[in-house]
Amino acid sequence: MHLKFILALLPLAIASAVGFAQSQTTPKTFKFGKVDPAEFNVRAAGADSAAAAIKIFDIGNGYFEINSLTGGFAFVYERHFRYKINNKNAYDLANFEISLFRGSGTSKETVDNLEAATYNLENGKVVAVKMAKDARFTENVDRFRSIKKYTLPNVKEGSIIEYKLRIKSDYIFTLRDWSFQGSYPTLYSEYSISIPEYFRYKVNPTGFFPIQVVKNESVNASYYISGAGSVGTTALFTKYVVENAPAVKDESFITALSDYTAKIEFELLSTNFPGEFYRDYTGNWGKIIADLYADESFGGYAKKSGFTRSIVTELIKNDTADKDRIRHIFNYVQKNMKWNGSHQMYSSFTNVKSAMEKKTGNSADINLALLALLSEAKIEASPVLLSTRPNGAHPGYPMLSKFDNIVIEAVAGKETYLLDATGPENYPGMIGAVSLNHTGLRVGSSAGWISLEASSPARKTYMYNLTLGTDNKLSGTLFHYNSGHSGVSRRTGYRKAANEADFLKSFKSEKPGLNILKYKVDALDNLHETLIETMDITIDEQVEEAGNLVYFNPLLFERTKENPFKLEERKFPVDFAYPSEEVYKIMVSYPVGYKIEKTPKSEIFKLKDNSAAFTFIFNEQDNQILITSKIAINKSLFSPEEYHDLKELFKNIVSKQAEQIVFKKI
Amino acid sequence: MIRKLITAILTTCFVTAASAQDYDAGKIAGNLQEKASYIVRMDDTRFEVKGPGNAVQTTKYVVTVLNKNGDHAAAFTEFYDRSSSIYNLKATLYDAWGKKTKEYKSSDFIDQSAISSYSLYEDYRVKHLAASNQSYPYTFEYSFSKSFDGLLNYPSWNPLADFGFAVERSSYELIVPEGFRVKMLKSNNLQTDSTLKDHKMHYRWTASNLAAYEDEPFSTGLNQLTPWVQVSPNKFVYDRSEGKLGNWNDLGKWIFDLSSGGDKLSPEKAKLVHELTKDCVTPAQKVAVLYNHLQQSTRYVSVQLGIGGFRPIAAEKVSQVSYGDCKALSNYMKAMLQEVGISSQLVVIGAGMPSLKKDFASFNQANHMILSVPMGKDTTWLECTSQRTPGGYVSQSIANRTVLLVTEKGGVLARTPALTPQKNYQRRQAEVVLHEDGNADIMINTTFGAAQYEGNMEMLSSEPSEQRKYLIESYSTISPEIISYALRQPDRTKAEMQEELKVKASKILTSGGDKAFLTLNLLNRRESVPASVENRKTPFALPFGFQDDDELTFTLPKGYKVEFLPKPVSHESEFGKYEINMSEKEGKIIYRRRLLINDRTFGPDRYNALVDFYKKIYQADKVKAVLAKIS
Repeated sequence: MHLKFILALLPLAIASAVGFAQSQTTPKTFKFGKVDPAEFNVRAAGADSAAAAIKIFDIGNGYFEINSLTGGFAFVYERHFRYKINNKNAYDLANFEISLFRGSGTSKETVDNLEAATYNLENGKVVAVKMAKDARFTENVDRFRSIKKYTLPNVKEGSIIEYKLRIKSDYIFTLRDWSFQGSYPTLYSEYSISIPEYFRYKVNPTGFFPIQVVKNESVNASYYISGAGSVGTTALFTKYVVENAPAVKDESFITALSDYTAKIEFELLSTNFPGEFYRDYTGNWGKIIADLYADESFGGYAKKSGFTRSIVTELIKNDTADKDRIRHIFNYVQKNMKWNGSHQMYSSFTNVKSAMEKKTGNSADINLALLALLSEAKIEASPVLLSTRPNGAHPGYPMLSKFDNIVIEAVAGKETYLLDATGPENYPGMIGAVSLNHTGLRVGSSAGWISLEASSPARKTYMYNLTLGTDNKLSGTLFHYNSGHSGVSRRTGYRKAANEADFLKSFKSEKPGLNILKYKVDALDNLHETLIETMDITIDEQVEEAGNLVYFNPLLFERTKENPFKLEERKFPVDFAYPSEEVYKIMVSYPVGYKIEKTPKSEIFKLKDNSAAFTFIFNEQDNQILITSKIAINKSLFSPEEYHDLKELFKNIVSKQAEQIVFKKI
Repeated sequence: MIRKLITAILTTCFVTAASAQDYDAGKIAGNLQEKASYIVRMDDTRFEVKGPGNAVQTTKYVVTVLNKNGDHAAAFTEFYDRSSSIYNLKATLYDAWGKKTKEYKSSDFIDQSAISSYSLYEDYRVKHLAASNQSYPYTFEYSFSKSFDGLLNYPSWNPLADFGFAVERSSYELIVPEGFRVKMLKSNNLQTDSTLKDHKMHYRWTASNLAAYEDEPFSTGLNQLTPWVQVSPNKFVYDRSEGKLGNWNDLGKWIFDLSSGGDKLSPEKAKLVHELTKDCVTPAQKVAVLYNHLQQSTRYVSVQLGIGGFRPIAAEKVSQVSYGDCKALSNYMKAMLQEVGISSQLVVIGAGMPSLKKDFASFNQANHMILSVPMGKDTTWLECTSQRTPGGYVSQSIANRTVLLVTEKGGVLARTPALTPQKNYQRRQAEVVLHEDGNADIMINTTFGAAQYEGNMEMLSSEPSEQRKYLIESYSTISPEIISYALRQPDRTKAEMQEELKVKASKILTSGGDKAFLTLNLLNRRESVPASVENRKTPFALPFGFQDDDELTFTLPKGYKVEFLPKPVSHESEFGKYEINMSEKEGKIIYRRRLLINDRTFGPDRYNALVDFYKKIYQADKVKAVLAKIS
């Protein structure tokens, strides 16, 4: 029933389903203001049947024209879309925003020709109300950005809303994206783009839902140039279509939701104007790399200078090995530059000297300064471009705008180190967790993709050595070891606290009954070593009595209480960022006169290829029990097919770690 | 011209101040460094009122940051709008020894729009600069001037408003023309230094060497321990509108005048209103019908521009576009009620803010508007911005506080009703059928009232996938596998939600040998206890009173009997009441728990008693029954 309706409404859907053969069919036009009463009956299928809104259609058209003011090409982006609002949760759709960029000079983005209306079905008739003039606003966010804001009248449950707009942009290196999917289900989305023969663009499709190319052909085009009149040429016309795309929803352990959304992005590859040389912007990595080195915010910034020479000479005057040189230079940059929280691949300064004098900067300011100093010391070092986890995965082919961060790779003999001096707890070989997006592009004399996987797992070990008293209190020592990313986050926690007492306070806050009598931390400043904490402790409130039985959970505070994987099904990969290992060793001596009534069984749970495992071992001897619990996540990325096994593994962990040990008083 | 003159005067007085200042961090008194992550070395504000609508503020602020936690204090943030402007902005960074290391340029300051998250559009902007330094301590200094053309609020002074920092010295000087009256509200024992000079009245407040307070949980703040002052004028000019502000009556009158004339409906709308209410007999029915109409046909869109922040958009206009902010929608509702002969008043209220201070009228105590409909002895309060709130339900953020009714005779103070703990109920009954393998089939029926309904209300209209996620997370103690569920609100006009849930859960029993352990409080456990605080300084509040009743019936696995049942527990204190009891009947265990928490403020000396109360609950919530196999 629904299907019939959709087909009737959107004949193009048939055309695209049969592909190129029918590409001559004239598509039905989606005319602004023409809403059929039947459109109020649209429904979405399956999991989206209760969606708060449905996108009925979203038609886009991108093309180029000459901006008569600048004389240059401008990109025109037309969009026309309609939503059916099913309930109040989707009222936000009636407020629409367009973010516009404006730089210095004459280049800018503008919106013109925006029309919008709300339609309601009243007594079987479609009643339209157009958006009023006073419902349009411009927010001047800052020097670079403004936001156009619009709000529609008469929106109720059951309304259809429609927007039609045109955005002109003088920025043509990256073009505005087209998303075929969003937080509501989409019945039909179509994007056409005409690119004049003077330009070539890279196209990056993302997501898990297929995007169909229904047309891809050369067409005649003409561009009006003031003074010269119309110039006839050709353009590449491409049309993309997506039908019946489900809503995209957030899940845990993913990088960026945009990675999972069907959309296309465009980045300029080359220009070839008549009478001018062919110009390659980002056509191949060689070109990209050469341009980067020539860019004053990248290669220009990272150049050696008198300033870098004077620093390096002093820093490494006693070093003979490259390894030591790297370490000293890394430490120097880390101590002297404070990261301002921004990930960038271009420096905000023109040279290393001014950045180091300001003592603060973005990730490129810091890591490219590191590169300059390493080159000064004649260390083989290259920048590595990457896309951070919140920025989503990089498509893997030459697309510069998809990178947003930079780290450094340095070589000392047979050893290779990734360096990231933005984090005060990082060390050679350890880069920020946010950069662990699996691969990065090394740009330098030997360019290529390299793995960014953490070299060792985040390792956390708790060792309790306790004595159980007849007063039901536990006392003894706790050793706490952290290395890899666990070491980084533990050190960060320690140093974030105003003092040690505050740090311990927050440590204790999640551990009811824990008292710390004595505390010692080792290797706090030896960042590459395991962080060791030693505590003399007592524990109240954990051991309970029922009749003549005494029982407690031997994992004390350290058990995994909840399964992190709650959903019954998963569509996206599970991305942990790095492998990890969590080990608890708990040794408890119990009083003479207690007899073990019930003990947990030793068990091992493993995923097929040992990609994740849980081991639980119980031993007893001479009034003493020893329990070892180990959770090992041996890789960072699990496919949706592995989700179920992973969920099962954690289910076993939660229930196994919840088991009690029971003593009987005799 | 005037601005130039002011600048000249200021520069001279700052030069003297600056040259006398020594920013060496080593010279900060030791007692000020205790528990502090930064020290305000100087915070001087001078606010000179030129007339009811004009004033000039000058501020100089110097802070020494001792450690990372204080970095946020080394920042300049000042808001402005179209009736104010910021100029003479300067900022400088000094090292530990007070040596200047950097002077910021005007391009270092960020100028951004500052529209609140709930608004579509406002004319607020902010100038901002965050300083940064790699080594500690360091000192950051800024100064600026701000002129006002249109003025509602005067700056208040609260030098030690928060925990974790100390103040070396701070001052506030308010200058008004001779005879210009202002109201003042200040902390106990704070001295006001007043002098008349050149036909200007100078009021001055100072504080020095205020040591830091350590952060305390659930604190109601430092205002009983530290100096502060609030000032508010008796008359004002804002966006070319004049008003009196001697008392709340004046403020109410100004708003009434702004809104008057905006409560007419178009003839078609008036007809519709009569049509909708034609079958209603009582005024209460009319209110219910029209409120429902409002909720079904309008939505909340906030645009705040100058006087538009106080004047409701005319009802006729709201009716045309079917949206508006709190003022517009309340006024629209008022107009519809008026059409059917029911009178009502707009209400100025601080949603999520403290009560209006009875004897101190000022603009900055409120942020919201609702509608009050007198109904004989009772009053119906209507929240007109929500499309879901049951008619007349007074939600947590607007309950139990002093508010201002806007009447034609001016403002009248009134109080919204309170949500008592008994109204905020959660009543649960669960049937747990236990199996020998430790798994269980569970049926859970829960009813949520008032504030507990509010917390879950959004779920009623969410998509099934969201509802499932919410249920799985709400019952995380049993990691449920949902068999079926239903969420409903039986009566749209009543703040009550019902939840029915059928689940399977594994490892409810932990068993070994011939024994099995059963945590009786399966679904509603207190999982942690706040740490006790030695020598607490500030009062604390339990902001949310509620009553939870749980009744769980456990059917034992075949072949098992009860070997041990814990004893009933009962604890009562000023914080509330906790009771559990368990009984065995026909092979079933019945567990009952009641927890009542009072919403009140308590003195600092009671805090450890609260911790003790929570600890007893924490322990009692863990009690287990022991089951044994019948041999």
